[in-house]
Amino acid sequence: MSWTAFDIEIWLRNCADRMTAAAPELNALDGQLGDGDLGATLQKCAEFMRLGLSGAASLPTDAFKTAATACARASGSSFGTLLAVAFMVLAKETADKRVLLMEDVAPLLEKVTAALMVRGRSKLGDKTALDSLEAIRLAVTNLEDPKDLQRLCCAASERAIEDFRMRPNMMGRARMFAEKSVGLADPGMVAVARIVGRPS
Amino acid sequence: MKKLLNDPNDYADEALEGMCLAHPEFYRQSGETSRVIHRASAQIKGKVGVVSGGGSGHLPVFAGYVGSGLLDACSVGNVFAGPTVGDCMDAMKIADGGAGVLCLYGNYGGDRMNFDMAGEILALDGLASTTVLVADDVASAPKSESIKRRGVAGMIYAFKIAGASAAAGADLEAVTAIAQKAASACRTIGVALTPCTVPEAGKPTFEIAVDEIEMGMGIHGEPGIWRGKLRPADEIAAEMLQRVSVELELAAGDRVSVLVNSLGSTPHEELFILYRQIAKSLAAEGIAIVMPLVGRYATSMEMTGASLTLIKLDDELETLLKAPAKCAFWSVG
Repeated sequence: MSWTAFDIEIWLRNCADRMTAAAPELNALDGQLGDGDLGATLQKCAEFMRLGLSGAASLPTDAFKTAATACARASGSSFGTLLAVAFMVLAKETADKRVLLMEDVAPLLEKVTAALMVRGRSKLGDKTALDSLEAIRLAVTNLEDPKDLQRLCCAASERAIEDFRMRPNMMGRARMFAEKSVGLADPGMVAVARIVGRPS
Repeated sequence: MKKLLNDPNDYADEALEGMCLAHPEFYRQSGETSRVIHRASAQIKGKVGVVSGGGSGHLPVFAGYVGSGLLDACSVGNVFAGPTVGDCMDAMKIADGGAGVLCLYGNYGGDRMNFDMAGEILALDGLASTTVLVADDVASAPKSESIKRRGVAGMIYAFKIAGASAAAGADLEAVTAIAQKAASACRTIGVALTPCTVPEAGKPTFEIAVDEIEMGMGIHGEPGIWRGKLRPADEIAAEMLQRVSVELELAAGDRVSVLVNSLGSTPHEELFILYRQIAKSLAAEGIAIVMPLVGRYATSMEMTGASLTLIKLDDELETLLKAPAKCAFWSVG
């Protein structure tokens, strides 16, 4: 199975819809220790993504570039910038591809995670969205049948939230409330799970 | 929420629009979303541009300090949120007079990521830029982890000194060096009495009992060093002074500028009560005060409380601090 630019645009628009739907939950979660704007940030990114994704992308890279530009313009909040970086990495890494294959998914996730670590000056284990991405990458490495992709990504992202729940946050504003963050789901990790979505 | 506003989502935009309408002699708005404030006069060719940026809710920081001998441009985010990468790029392009751009802003993750990205993208087009992070808040991390400290009111000294250096014709390397020297010479601590409310959130940034204060609280409600009962102003001033002066290793004969800053709602009277004690204590130690500043210089909307900043001066810093500068909120010389 392969994914064309058209498929990628549909996936990105679905991600945008899930970001909008999750906004109230993410605002509330972020408000426990942060400034409570994570949902609003994702909502703005989603609005700009929907505006840009018109079905005109001829290559996967075009669709990712549109998503990256949308997130960079939508918000100055950290998560919006990190989304922009992630989509920009995907655009760069797929520049010579007409379609994406199942075997491309795990290596692309690895590239995205590496770029986010550099940009955010964070590392795996800090209880951030990076830990969710890494859990997803591990779950889909060597996966051959794409019909299991959504289910595995969903399960991995949900499991990552629970695996890190009892750990302290080591990054961002929440790190200043490290003790209070123990026992709480990290809002960024929940955001990844919501963006991934549940299998239909 | 009891605020003079229309739609909470328009808070930052309408405040910037009003500021520019009130002071067309200083400010212009640009950028895709009008979130870049730059000088009303054209950028001088051959002058290093000095750019800052950060969230709304702290006026006069950041955009208010756009002016002669100060900042050339500033990108502004929503309340307590960083500016977008696009706005950072626009601010840097506007400030570029062909001699490069210094990005000078507080040490916050989002601002850092966005300015870094903007700088990397513009470097592809040949724009030279450097970065100096202001990290003066002694309460935000121990001295051993000073790289993690946040930037607060001390950044206005860095704006002033870097702006004066750029105005005097220094090149990018020299402006960057003096900005770093100024940033490194500043220490700040705040004390909060009551919180503020972010319009989009509609609820106070933290809760505190009516008879309590929090020493060391950040300008977004970040936790401080201790929370306890309200004390006499002289005791609070003494603790604040002790916490910043010990880090600067002040000794008799040193010269400092002192900024006693309202976090928003605290009136001048109370700031002067604090300053009175601070001035007496410094005099007793044989430390001279140069160009004291008392007022609203870096705020957290309507938060009640104050911050104390000291900058240890040498001849170079003092000369640049006293150089002429003018914006709607601060005039020197």
